[in-house]
Amino acid sequence: MNRTQLTRRACMTLATAAAAALALAGCNAAAPSNTTAGGVTNLKLIMNPGPEATAMSKVMAAYNAGQGATDKIHVAVDQLSRTDTYAKEATLMSTKSADYDFYQTASYYIAQHAPYLEPLQLNSSQYFPGALNSLKVNGEQEAIPLDPSVNFVFYRKDLIGKMLTDKAKFEQISQQVLGKKLEPKSPDQWTWDDYIASAAYFTRKYNSASPTQYGTELQAKNLVYNSMLWDDVLWNEGGSWLNSSGKPDLTSAAAKSAVNVYRTIYTKGLTSPASDQAEYPETEAALSSGNAAFALQWNAGYDQLNDPKQSPKTAGKIGIAPVPGVQHLSHVHTLAIGVNKYGQHVAQAQKFIAYLDTVNAMKAYVAAGGLASMPSALTDGSASISALKSTLANGTFNEPALPKAFDIYTALASDLSGAWVGQGSVDSALQKANADLAQLSGK
Amino acid sequence: MSALTTTRPEIGAAAKSPRSTRRQRSLHARGSARWVLGIPLILFLALLVAYPIGNGVISSLQNHTLLNPNPTWTGFSNYVRILTDSNFWDALSFTVVYTVLVTSIELVLGFLLALVFDRPFPGRRFLLSALILPIMIAPALMGIMFRLLLSQNIGVIPALLQALGINISLLSASTVIPLLVVLDVVQWTSFTFLLFHAALQGVPAELEEAAQLDRASRARFVFSILIPLLAPTIFITGFLRAIDAFRAFDTINVLTAGGPGTTTTTLSIYVYKILSSGDFGLASAASVVIAIIVLPIIPFVIRRITDGATS
Amino acid sequence: MNAVYTSIKTDAAIGISPFSLQGGFNFDHYSNVLGGSSGFNFPGYLLNSVQLSLGTVILVMVIAVPAGYSIVRLGFGGRWVLQLITSLRLVPAMFFAVPFFLIFSALGIYDTVVGLILADTFMQLPLALLIICGTLRDIPMEVEEAAAIDGAGTYRSLVFIVLPLLASGLVAVGIIVFVFAWSDYLMAVILSASGAVPVTVGAAFFVTSAGIQWGNLAAVTVVSVIAPLAFAVFAQRYLVRGLSAGAIK
Repeated sequence: MNRTQLTRRACMTLATAAAAALALAGCNAAAPSNTTAGGVTNLKLIMNPGPEATAMSKVMAAYNAGQGATDKIHVAVDQLSRTDTYAKEATLMSTKSADYDFYQTASYYIAQHAPYLEPLQLNSSQYFPGALNSLKVNGEQEAIPLDPSVNFVFYRKDLIGKMLTDKAKFEQISQQVLGKKLEPKSPDQWTWDDYIASAAYFTRKYNSASPTQYGTELQAKNLVYNSMLWDDVLWNEGGSWLNSSGKPDLTSAAAKSAVNVYRTIYTKGLTSPASDQAEYPETEAALSSGNAAFALQWNAGYDQLNDPKQSPKTAGKIGIAPVPGVQHLSHVHTLAIGVNKYGQHVAQAQKFIAYLDTVNAMKAYVAAGGLASMPSALTDGSASISALKSTLANGTFNEPALPKAFDIYTALASDLSGAWVGQGSVDSALQKANADLAQLSGK
Repeated sequence: MSALTTTRPEIGAAAKSPRSTRRQRSLHARGSARWVLGIPLILFLALLVAYPIGNGVISSLQNHTLLNPNPTWTGFSNYVRILTDSNFWDALSFTVVYTVLVTSIELVLGFLLALVFDRPFPGRRFLLSALILPIMIAPALMGIMFRLLLSQNIGVIPALLQALGINISLLSASTVIPLLVVLDVVQWTSFTFLLFHAALQGVPAELEEAAQLDRASRARFVFSILIPLLAPTIFITGFLRAIDAFRAFDTINVLTAGGPGTTTTTLSIYVYKILSSGDFGLASAASVVIAIIVLPIIPFVIRRITDGATS
Repeated sequence: MNAVYTSIKTDAAIGISPFSLQGGFNFDHYSNVLGGSSGFNFPGYLLNSVQLSLGTVILVMVIAVPAGYSIVRLGFGGRWVLQLITSLRLVPAMFFAVPFFLIFSALGIYDTVVGLILADTFMQLPLALLIICGTLRDIPMEVEEAAAIDGAGTYRSLVFIVLPLLASGLVAVGIIVFVFAWSDYLMAVILSASGAVPVTVGAAFFVTSAGIQWGNLAAVTVVSVIAPLAFAVFAQRYLVRGLSAGAIK
């Protein structure tokens, strides 16, 4: 009696819950997936979150309200986390999906994405030629360049200023750490030895008077972007992925010394021991917390460090120097947008690309917090923009344009990140990297 | 209200007799009901399992990559690449070691905690909720939170350690593996605890009272009565935890991305990296290889579960 | 704990040191996240998560309870059914992601909660079935035999005899399935785009190309724990009491 009653009550509870959930799910399933409504074509772009996507959605809002109304096109952006955007795109592309009309892509991915992208006609004279060329595959322009990424050394002007006047101490520390007497130099004149010596100067272990605990923050996590940063050392030490005859060249003396730069910084304790798991945000945190005096970082990091709200300790005190080395060359790549060849509205998508392909649209994009690969859209005179412009003009190198570039960056991070932090031998790590490079480049 | 004061009736049913297995078959093996009740499962498997497996196996025999949208047959070359890749074997051995370590630690800790919580004490309910909180946090979020918590520059834990005069960096190359084990234990001991706690609730109170009358020590009661009684639960819990530890991905991927080098690359991270570089054929082949390696364990485990581990 | 602490600090204080309280405490991150000024629709993501987790629990139960009973008591499919299903959980989940994407696109349930429910059911079914089978084995046959003698058919005895006895086990399964479905990230990343984004994927929006928004992320983490916790309490209070109270004599 009692039992049946209770069981019935339980069943009712379950059934109600089921009905409620299904009803809710039902509403959702009915969500509109139609891409044309009322004669307006809806176009979607997939992008990772960050200032670029924020800026792009502002540009899109302006387009939708203006030109888009005339074109009968409505554009919108969907965001995913930074690390998963490309995995998701790979899924979409491999199934020739029509879900998105635009894909986010980048220089290092363009060759793999090209089979799924519709070639574009751009007003090429408006752009930095390097940015534009990095998005060409077999002579076709596969995507429109947006934010260029280069590397700088961000340093604390206040602290470096004192270092320059502390010659004796600096010489003593560089002797202790590097075995040679170096003079303190201003960051824009650094070689990698100067970088190491200055990092030691700002490490409390070697200099009890140091205002920071560590000199720098290495980005040594096993991550593709960290391979790009390490390439900065490789190229500035005179190395490259391939030698002059096009063969893999990662066992060169330059490659060895480039690994040893990282290894020295890590094993001598000039960076925090946790930097074997550090990437962009950890480096930002090391600088903003005042734990490190300078670091090699992506240009995008400047605004946060210079913002009194987010980084009260460093705002107004951050100097920008080019990558250390003789020629001060930086890695460069460009974020870009391509048109999905398998989309349902390729012609309309091209209209929006044509809208973006103007100085005014790119100016709006920059004003909304993005960056452009167009010199005339970068009119803001801020320190980071002018540094970016001068680097893009003549301070970059290019990794060889290999179809599997992304896989190569992945392999380098995986093969070398152990050696960067003192694990295993440098030679065997480089041999493995060289072998992987040979396989992935087909050379 | 605690989530766990479940009253699980008759666990172990005072050591089932082997007889019951035979009786079940003879008594209930009747006609259509078996199929009718199995229909939802069959439908589901047909819809969501057959196709992906077929698709995956086919793709593992093709050179299906992003660069090559129209794949052709390549025989077993993907399999050869996996089996000759030293990183694959490194990932396998790391995964196995990791799985064994975390599973055994979590079983022991979860059991001990469940014993503690089997008796009333002040604040029990509150602590109980606190204990199961970690599994409520999504592993992906947990990973990111750990990243903040452990950040050398802005994290609480390194700062606390430093304040205590302990100068050790948890994320450094030499400590990162033990750290990952500890983090897994922190998050997933809740899981073993939850299942053990539910099982202990079902142990008849008379049994414990009888043991007390015998003046058996608590330890002897636990070892000679409780553990054999709960053996099936312990076995299933351990197995469930192990298969999930074997698939460990989110937290480790967020924290270390498999590094430094490949020292913390689990099999799932290994497959994920292949997949995100767009080599679908290779990723499928790796998955098939992993399945084949672990498959032989399954019948053994299932036999123990379906036949009852006590008999 | 740390999530709570971080979520009420200011960005400046987060960026300086763990003990810095520059700017004091405030709930800005919560209003950012829930009020939509973060640019993301978090209340919507939470709703998606609730729907997909509840839906998964129900679908798992609908499939696993009869199937478990059929396997354990009626000898359905012998051992191999259970073996097959258990093996599914050992294959890396990514293996299924791409084919699921294809199937769901074809069925028109890509980027819907229904699609995610199917995927999560697939992921959690092995676990649920194993626990249910294990619990079923622990229920003495005698009760059912008595019912059979009283003339109760298989279905009757399943609903009125076995189900109540299974209650506490089902609650544990329900909680675990809910929590795991709630926590799923990988499937959701691949199978949702904008319509069915759950809170785990939504939280990852704060991991941006220009750093991690720690404060907002911590707030999301705190908010995202509330629903599974509430579900656990609910399952506990109502289901256990309702189902098992009458069964135990």
